Amino acid sequence: MVISDETRSKIEEAISKYPQKRGALLPAIHLVQADCGHVSKECAAELAEIFEILPIQVMEVVSFYNMFFDSPQAKHHVYVCTNLPCSLRGSRSLLSQLESHLGVTAPGATEDGRIFLGHEECLGACGYAPMMRVDDEYHEDLDVEKAKQILDSLGK
Amino acid sequence: MPKITIDGNELEVAEGRTILQALDDAGLLMNGIDIPHYCWHPKLPIDGSCRLCQVEVEGIPKLQIACDTPVRDGMVVHTQNERVKQAREGVMELLLVNHPLDCPICDQAGECKLQDYTYDYGVKASRTKEPRRALKKNVDLGPTIVFDQERCILCRRCVRFCREIPKTGELAIFNRGDHSVIETFPGTPLDNPYSMNVADICPVGALTTKDFRFKIRVWFLEEVPGICTGCSNGCNIHLGVANNKVYRYVPRRNDAVNDTWICDEGRMSYRRIGAPDRLRECAVRDASGRLEPVGLDRAIDAAASRLRRLIDSKGPGVIAGLASAHATNEDLFTFRRFLAALGAETHGVAVVCGEADDLLVKREKAPNAAGAREIGFRDARAVVDRIGSGGIDAVIALGHDALQEGLLSSEEALANLDTVIVLDTHASEFQRVAHVIVPVRHAAEKLGSFVNVARRVQRVVPAVESMGESYSDGEVIAKLGAALGLEGFDGSYDARQVARDLAAANPAFAGIDLDSVGDAGRPLADAAASEAER
Repeated sequence: MVISDETRSKIEEAISKYPQKRGALLPAIHLVQADCGHVSKECAAELAEIFEILPIQVMEVVSFYNMFFDSPQAKHHVYVCTNLPCSLRGSRSLLSQLESHLGVTAPGATEDGRIFLGHEECLGACGYAPMMRVDDEYHEDLDVEKAKQILDSLGK
Repeated sequence: MPKITIDGNELEVAEGRTILQALDDAGLLMNGIDIPHYCWHPKLPIDGSCRLCQVEVEGIPKLQIACDTPVRDGMVVHTQNERVKQAREGVMELLLVNHPLDCPICDQAGECKLQDYTYDYGVKASRTKEPRRALKKNVDLGPTIVFDQERCILCRRCVRFCREIPKTGELAIFNRGDHSVIETFPGTPLDNPYSMNVADICPVGALTTKDFRFKIRVWFLEEVPGICTGCSNGCNIHLGVANNKVYRYVPRRNDAVNDTWICDEGRMSYRRIGAPDRLRECAVRDASGRLEPVGLDRAIDAAASRLRRLIDSKGPGVIAGLASAHATNEDLFTFRRFLAALGAETHGVAVVCGEADDLLVKREKAPNAAGAREIGFRDARAVVDRIGSGGIDAVIALGHDALQEGLLSSEEALANLDTVIVLDTHASEFQRVAHVIVPVRHAAEKLGSFVNVARRVQRVVPAVESMGESYSDGEVIAKLGAALGLEGFDGSYDARQVARDLAAANPAFAGIDLDSVGDAGRPLADAAASEAER
């Protein structure tokens, strides 16, 4: 089994919150991804078994959403918002300086697999532009130095 | 029942149907009232994704998709006005934004809905400057189907088919929006007994069968209505014919038999028609024991003199008839009449059996087992038993079904017989023991009818001419009857007349002839009665 017992029990708990089993598929994929880092074909097959659907139906959902991955990913995901308010506050130049700092072209990951750098549309933090998302955390009111420090502090 | 008005025609329709379904029920869709559509298919769940079938419904400000708008009493629908036409043009332009327009090298050209509707509703020139999506060409989806991602318009017909009909669900749409593509799950190819239907329902050239693609341009094909002979379901088909050759079978819609589907095995059985092992000439075993090619007259003479010698010495009781469920009702009725006139009471029909499923594939692997039984042939096992007990000296066999099913073996049971006369389409073990062999026609080469497992009479018409010499079984039997001087046999055979004789002689066939049975078939009298009761 690829999905751990702990994750399985969390999935069961999620299922209990929905009138139809399938409703819990999205939370379940989140749980699996948090556990395994990505949703592999084996994970999809096990999820399909839990939800009594076809593995390909799990993969349909995984491929539909940008936040789900079907292949191994970098340790940390960093997304710089490039929507209008952030752009007006310099996010595009911020992004290009982070690109050269890390030596990557967004969207792309560093060679050591430590950081994936990409850009994202509005994350609803326009009042604190420019901003970026590091994994599940928002970092707001950024300047280049502050952003570089945050990236450097990320572990392997 | 709600009444609706479509383009001025008043129509009474069933409750709960959508506009397209109601038109399809009435037989008017694309047959008087044309509403172009891609994603809607009469036998699949509604999707509503292609947006091409938009029509104007009075009282509703925006255009509605006809496939998913339920009818209600008093509804007035316009399908051909300027507003609808403009909407269709808009949808077509969007569908074509990423289409490669590679019709000259596309195998679907000529039967492509995208091509057809582009002629009707396409804009003259593309207004986009952006590059088209570059996707995978020539994707090997499985053993039967090749996929071109660029040509796909994402109507999801194939996805719904795999989930709803064979229930194998191999296909899905991956990614989202502009990045959407049809894919299989890694390591799970499109491989099910009905997989090739996805090529039929694909409205564009995205899904094509490995078997048919690039064989011939479809506009050279004449589509002849016929019946698949693979099993007793008798799926309705079109035979694609050119240059006196059958290039493919495609399913022909018949809601009483096969909806719009056919199994892959049945579809591929067209290859039996022109197979290299088809019998091409009559043959008679000479004194040295070799089969010598002869003309039909000499073959009939040889068969008649062998039979007459046996009748004179031992009586007709030593002659047995083995019918084939591949023969038509007309062939079988002639054979049955021949055996009765001869006084040969041992007869039966051998039917090859195999696997069945709960969709189309039936256990009996021949088109006319029900017809043969209706005409009076019993189980071939009785014949086999009598041969085994030494009570039989001569066998007249239509086809080699008994050998195929393992009821008879050419080494043991048949080798000791005085006379073996075989009328067959393909070569078999009979070649080793038969004294007279006459090549006969495949179902694609003759006029006649079959009775399917649901007791429905269905017609076959000649789609191609036999290569080499060949005759209908009934024709050969009629000549043999005349050569033996049997009562009621003058050597002539006309399938139409035999069908009328059968209808007069057998109440089950009452009122059925080869013209009135039509392309859609008709139930036998008793089946029709029980259908009417329901």
